[in-house]
Amino acid sequence: MKTILSFLISVLLSLPVVAQEVNDGDELLNRPADRTYDIVLDSGYLKVGVYRDFPPYSYEVDGQPRGIDVELGKLIAQEMGVEFRVHWIIPDEELGDDLRNNVWKGHYLDKQRLADVMMRVPYDKQYAYMQDSTGEYINEQVVLFGPYQQETWQIAYNPEKLDTVDTVAVFQYHPIGVEIDTLPDFYLSSALQGRMRNQVRHYPNVRAAFEAMRNGEVSAVMGMRAEIHHELAKPENEAFMQAQNGFPGLMKQVWDVGMAVKHTHRQLGYAIEGIVNRLVTEGTLSEAFTGMELAYSVPGYYRDFLSEEAIAQAEGQK
Amino acid sequence: MRSNKFGIRIAASALALAVSCGAHAVTDEDILKDAETTDDIVSYGMGLQGQRFSPLTDLNTDNVKHLQPVWGFAFGGEKMRGQESQPMIKDGVMYVTASYSRVYAIDVKTGEEIWQYDARLPDGIMPCCDVVNRGVALYNDKVIFGTLDAKLVALNKDTGKPMWIKKVADYQAGYAITAAPLIVKGKVITGVSGGEFGIVGKVEAYDANTGDLMWTRPTVEGHMGYVYKDGKKIESGISGGKAGQTWPGDMWKNGGAAPWLGGTYDEETDSLFFGTGNPAPWNSHLRPGDNLFSSSRLAIDPDDGSIKWHFQTTPHDGWDYDGVNELISFDLKENGKTIKAAATADRNGFFYVLNRENGDFIRGFPFVDKITWAEGLDPETGRPIFDENGRPGDPLNSEAGKGETVVAQPAFLGGKNWMPMAYNPQTELFYVPSNEWSMDIWNEPVSYKKGAAFLGAGFTIKPTNDEYIGVLRAMDPKTGEEVWRYENPAPLWGGVMTTAGDLVFTGTPEGYLKAFDAKTGEELYKFNTGSGVVGTPVTWTMDGEQYVSVLSGWGGAVPLWGGEVAKVVKNFNQGGLVWTFKLPKDRVAAN
Repeated sequence: MKTILSFLISVLLSLPVVAQEVNDGDELLNRPADRTYDIVLDSGYLKVGVYRDFPPYSYEVDGQPRGIDVELGKLIAQEMGVEFRVHWIIPDEELGDDLRNNVWKGHYLDKQRLADVMMRVPYDKQYAYMQDSTGEYINEQVVLFGPYQQETWQIAYNPEKLDTVDTVAVFQYHPIGVEIDTLPDFYLSSALQGRMRNQVRHYPNVRAAFEAMRNGEVSAVMGMRAEIHHELAKPENEAFMQAQNGFPGLMKQVWDVGMAVKHTHRQLGYAIEGIVNRLVTEGTLSEAFTGMELAYSVPGYYRDFLSEEAIAQAEGQK
Repeated sequence: MRSNKFGIRIAASALALAVSCGAHAVTDEDILKDAETTDDIVSYGMGLQGQRFSPLTDLNTDNVKHLQPVWGFAFGGEKMRGQESQPMIKDGVMYVTASYSRVYAIDVKTGEEIWQYDARLPDGIMPCCDVVNRGVALYNDKVIFGTLDAKLVALNKDTGKPMWIKKVADYQAGYAITAAPLIVKGKVITGVSGGEFGIVGKVEAYDANTGDLMWTRPTVEGHMGYVYKDGKKIESGISGGKAGQTWPGDMWKNGGAAPWLGGTYDEETDSLFFGTGNPAPWNSHLRPGDNLFSSSRLAIDPDDGSIKWHFQTTPHDGWDYDGVNELISFDLKENGKTIKAAATADRNGFFYVLNRENGDFIRGFPFVDKITWAEGLDPETGRPIFDENGRPGDPLNSEAGKGETVVAQPAFLGGKNWMPMAYNPQTELFYVPSNEWSMDIWNEPVSYKKGAAFLGAGFTIKPTNDEYIGVLRAMDPKTGEEVWRYENPAPLWGGVMTTAGDLVFTGTPEGYLKAFDAKTGEELYKFNTGSGVVGTPVTWTMDGEQYVSVLSGWGGAVPLWGGEVAKVVKNFNQGGLVWTFKLPKDRVAAN
């Protein structure tokens, strides 16, 4: 009786907060639920995996998930006729770890917890079909699909300290902030024979690097374009400018971002792919980006077969 | 008139309590003398110097074949993975940790559980370094250990209830504790484990009775150390004097160098010895310089945490030769003199003999069959003479594609990893658990992190020989010669113990506890414990009989890395048991 009552109370308490995480794993066998497409539809919700504390892609405001990846997840859930449920991802050292912990196997300390679909997974054939030294496909447990955005690198600078950033060479002389252990960190610490290395200042994230720019510790910040735009849109950063420089010697200048499902859940992947394809080509996603004061680039994937007009429509330039 | 019945009962139980506290309390003296007292084990290392040598002779080369299991104790639950702990024994009770920050008190006579403590780990914790734990410290009425969420926990030895809990570092920033703490002069001394990036290593001392922080010493050049007196935090000098001497830019702020394996202590020189991990970031081309005090041994003053001397085994480490390996104090008798020496077998494949009074290099030599990254050691300073072709390239300078593959030997898991070696003052030999493997390192052409393009290095570990990876070696610190070796198919990952009965004990991933003749290396005993042995054996006496205990439970870092080593270990099953053996009284004089 008591357990039924407490069960009811917990159900009632959880009802109004639709955006909270749901634990649907098997407690007895300590493994995640095998949520195929039909089971997702029957259950009435879709667990969307997004990175925690990662503005503007996915973050929390007043206990509610926000951000562009969250918005896209909600649009997908809506189109599928189910509720959006957030699945927060704490990033590990590289993508393969995140896929293992959140898409196909589960983290060894938290084995019942998997996302139905993970967002912000780079869509890259070379990565998807990567083989290990014994010839095994490293990522055979997941399907990467549904590219929805193209991402790139961007520098923002303080015009009081720098007239302009024509090339990165100015950072031989001016301090620049980066998020530690990212490609901007490695690039600025290594390019030009390491001549910018002593000017690189390390921060836990782009937000903290902007704070350092406001304090005068650094004259510029390098990060992903959406991160930089998100910061530039804040009133406290309105004095800062977007740079126009290139990144010579940086191998990966742009990349497509899509999603991942477990390889046995392809049917769910096909359904989501169809929805995302429509959201991209009809310009809905572009609108979502614009609504958050972010620039939107159509993934390279679409550029191979869409007409120029269709791309313009997808990027909101009608 | 008062109820004397009631009063007597209270008095009697209070007396019993007082007696039990008096009899069982572990003192500083007990810990300092641990290597000599054979009826208890109250320090990690069977003595603070870490020699892992027992003067017991009841069990010896003649009768070890009669060693027989007395009991097995299962940790239970679904939590398995590596069991790397060293048991402690005091007054008939064994205190031992298991994976996932669990502690058990076991009645050594019967193998029955007295209590169990499971640290409550936070949701979403992502430990950097597997979920192992290497053991507890005992002090007074407390059992003290470190947790995966980087806390020190002191439990009451009789009840297993927490007496104090202190946060040493923030697990969300990537810190954890897996090593056994060390107790010196009433202080709990601990290092920290850390992920590859963004952390700064430190050694800290806490008051064993109260858990109050007493001093902190960062292990990266440029960071201020502190002592704490009467609630005040007082500056006690910057590690290395000042920032920016051996690191470019602000990289010292996140330099790594985690002393994750704990330390040893030498009473004669009053020094703590801690090894420090690799520098961050991994790509050495980003951080020209020696990057102090990464991959080093530090001698630290236990009173205030100041660094007395340092010896860096791998300056400008580019291979993840995470130099945390234990530094064992011993008396080096040479040319009629006795030198206060200390020795360490580094991940990088070299064995170093140092003067423990000042850190001076005495000699060094390879203890593995082949080293590719250095041509040798400078005979004066011990600094490696790098082979520049042996350093992995800078991913940013390579064109698209894999770039050139560099073969490095030993592999990053080391000529010797965490597993402690042992020193036998009778044979004057070190018994080193080592592995023969190399690694291929290349620049990963496509890599992503947190939704962003990234640059990673790819690597795979390869066994050097078809027949074996693990090699238990008897090394002579005077000549650098390998006196004998035992080859094992799977990589060795468990600690070693040696005795005055001329025995050397260690475990294998195949599940065996094995005993060897300390002089010849002849295998004299083996017993299969049911899962891989990656713990460290101990021996002691009780009721006139000699006992041996070891943990069984395959795991640790080896199964986390695939490649060709995976073929050797993939069929080993996990487990979680303590095994206790004894030599029955009537077998001591057996023929």
